[in-house]
Amino acid sequence: MSNHARRPAPNTRAGVSNVTRRRFIGRSGVALGGLALGPSFLAACGSDEETLDSGSGSGDVTQDTKSLYFASWPAYIDEETVALFEKDTGIKFNYTEEYNDNNEYFAKIQPLLSKGRAIDPDIIAPTFWMAGRLIGLDWVQKLPLDKIPNASNLNDNLVDPTWDPTGEYTLPWQSGFAGIAYNLETTGRELTSMDDLWAPEFKGKIGVLSEMRDTLGLIAKSLDIDISKPTAKSLQPALDLLAEKVDSGQIRSFTGNDYMDDLSSGSFAACIGWSGDIAQLSLDNPNAKFAIPESGGTLWSDTMVIPTGADGVDAAAEFMNYVYDPVNAARIAAFVQYVSPVKGVQDELRKMGGDSAALADNVLLFPSEESSKNLSSFGQLSDEDEAALDAAFSKIQGN
Amino acid sequence: MAGEGRKNGRFVPWALLSPGGLFLALFFLVPVWALARIALSTKPSRFEDPAFAWDFSNFGTALSDYGGQFGRSFLYAGLATLFAFIIGYPLAYSIAAYGGKWKDLLIGLVVIPFFTSFLIRTIAWTSILGPQSVVTDAFRGLPLVGDDFNFIGNMWSVVGGLTYNFLPFMILPIYVALEKIDFRLTEAAGDLYATPVAGFWRVIFPLSLPGVFAGSLLVFIPAAGDFINTRFLGTPKTSVIGSVVQDQFLVQLNYPVAAALSLFLMAIITVAVLIYSKLFGTEGLAA
Repeated sequence: MSNHARRPAPNTRAGVSNVTRRRFIGRSGVALGGLALGPSFLAACGSDEETLDSGSGSGDVTQDTKSLYFASWPAYIDEETVALFEKDTGIKFNYTEEYNDNNEYFAKIQPLLSKGRAIDPDIIAPTFWMAGRLIGLDWVQKLPLDKIPNASNLNDNLVDPTWDPTGEYTLPWQSGFAGIAYNLETTGRELTSMDDLWAPEFKGKIGVLSEMRDTLGLIAKSLDIDISKPTAKSLQPALDLLAEKVDSGQIRSFTGNDYMDDLSSGSFAACIGWSGDIAQLSLDNPNAKFAIPESGGTLWSDTMVIPTGADGVDAAAEFMNYVYDPVNAARIAAFVQYVSPVKGVQDELRKMGGDSAALADNVLLFPSEESSKNLSSFGQLSDEDEAALDAAFSKIQGN
Repeated sequence: MAGEGRKNGRFVPWALLSPGGLFLALFFLVPVWALARIALSTKPSRFEDPAFAWDFSNFGTALSDYGGQFGRSFLYAGLATLFAFIIGYPLAYSIAAYGGKWKDLLIGLVVIPFFTSFLIRTIAWTSILGPQSVVTDAFRGLPLVGDDFNFIGNMWSVVGGLTYNFLPFMILPIYVALEKIDFRLTEAAGDLYATPVAGFWRVIFPLSLPGVFAGSLLVFIPAAGDFINTRFLGTPKTSVIGSVVQDQFLVQLNYPVAAALSLFLMAIITVAVLIYSKLFGTEGLAA
């Protein structure tokens, strides 16, 4: 008897079948055809939820008065205030520092809010121009100002601002201004105007902000352009000057918050920077100085808004009322070291004594009347102008 | 019996391949398909979702407006791969050939610095090579070097940053390939009248090629998409395609063009890798 029956056929050891590469790809393709329908199902499932109409949310959504979710920027509130708010009001307060960048956050919320669906936070803290955009898109609701009596403590120069002319949608959280931040040791002299940034000895040691409105705003003001009514055309000279300085290598790079280390080390001689950053930096490095340029600085605010469909509107109102009390606002300002939008904070800081009292005299937190005249906010842009300026500014950054 | 073995075994390959295949399908093929859909869409307005419209113009825009950035990305990545090879191969060879009992420790020393975050290591370079650093000052003291000489803020600092950040990806595969080689082959080569150099070049090096191939891919592909190095060590004039994609997506909110750029990047890299692998041959990779 031969062994043919016992001997396994060639190429077919037990456990190995006749799957060839061609067969695998072919059969996978069929499976994938089925899988390709999967995402469409997912998308279809997603849009089955009810849409919420904009405007007041309290009509359609049951209000949760016992908890509050505030998505804000890093290092923007002290822990004591968070704890005290919870204690005084009994509202469970979820404060997160997830708002790192206006555009990033906008990209996160756009898929939901553009379809009329609610996002989780009850309050978010967009910068003024982003708040203006959200108002224009109807993605925020009117504040229940009748429940926020302390809103009358708002500083006069922030009432009915350009980004919220009726004052019904936003309340400023903190303000600040942008100007020239420089390292006195590296520059060897005090800087007072934007032209100082363009001095030949600082070539390759100048940084500017990737925040378009601050960088272009400062440059525009140095060219005598009115930034309270900006258009893509009126700002063209500022764009040209910026492009020229980038091309020549005078400006080394565009930075976000990350200019401070390089400024401290002297890698940057000077930057366009923010007042609060230097207020904090100068505590560690006395060489870090801030100057509002002679031609003027830009004033910005981060605002509190309530997104459409939020279910914690009453809790949000309580919080806004709480932080607009000068005592609480002073405590926050002592930690954050930006410009508080609340009247009476300077006196409260003096009452607190110690380091806080010293802050009451800090011009970066309380600019003098003279300096204040030199500060102005970048006006609202039309959608087309904003798109054009964003594109032009990005091109200068190399993108 | 042979027949039974055949029947039982038929589904085994499929079973073995399905976890990996499913993972790839879900996390690679589906996203690429979604990306292709977005790349062929138009946006009715800046803040709305894109609508699918078989719009091929996005690809045209991507290529025409950003050709410079594409070119620079591949140039920097190519140079970084070359420099990583020049630095990494001798190091891997020394450890593999002469490391002896210290081999593991030495390889560990190569890898340990890279446990720190990528971002921190890149930012550290701005301190080490910044305008105010000791190193830069020392260089400025040299003859022929001007007083305003700067290490950072030009293409070579970006390439240097890329080389540094991706060096272990070149060293480790080469080391692994070299480690498998029996170095007595060099003795054998010597017995056949080969000089040490010839022995290396004609015996050892070809055997290590799979490692070189893998290392080059592991350096080139991520380096081509990297934008962190140019952000901290470069200037707007050294911009690369990664930052364009991020900008188009986040700031301009132009998802279709961003998707088109991403697909182009993937396509170009795929073609480059296919050509490269044809030149090298991949049979040795499985060794």
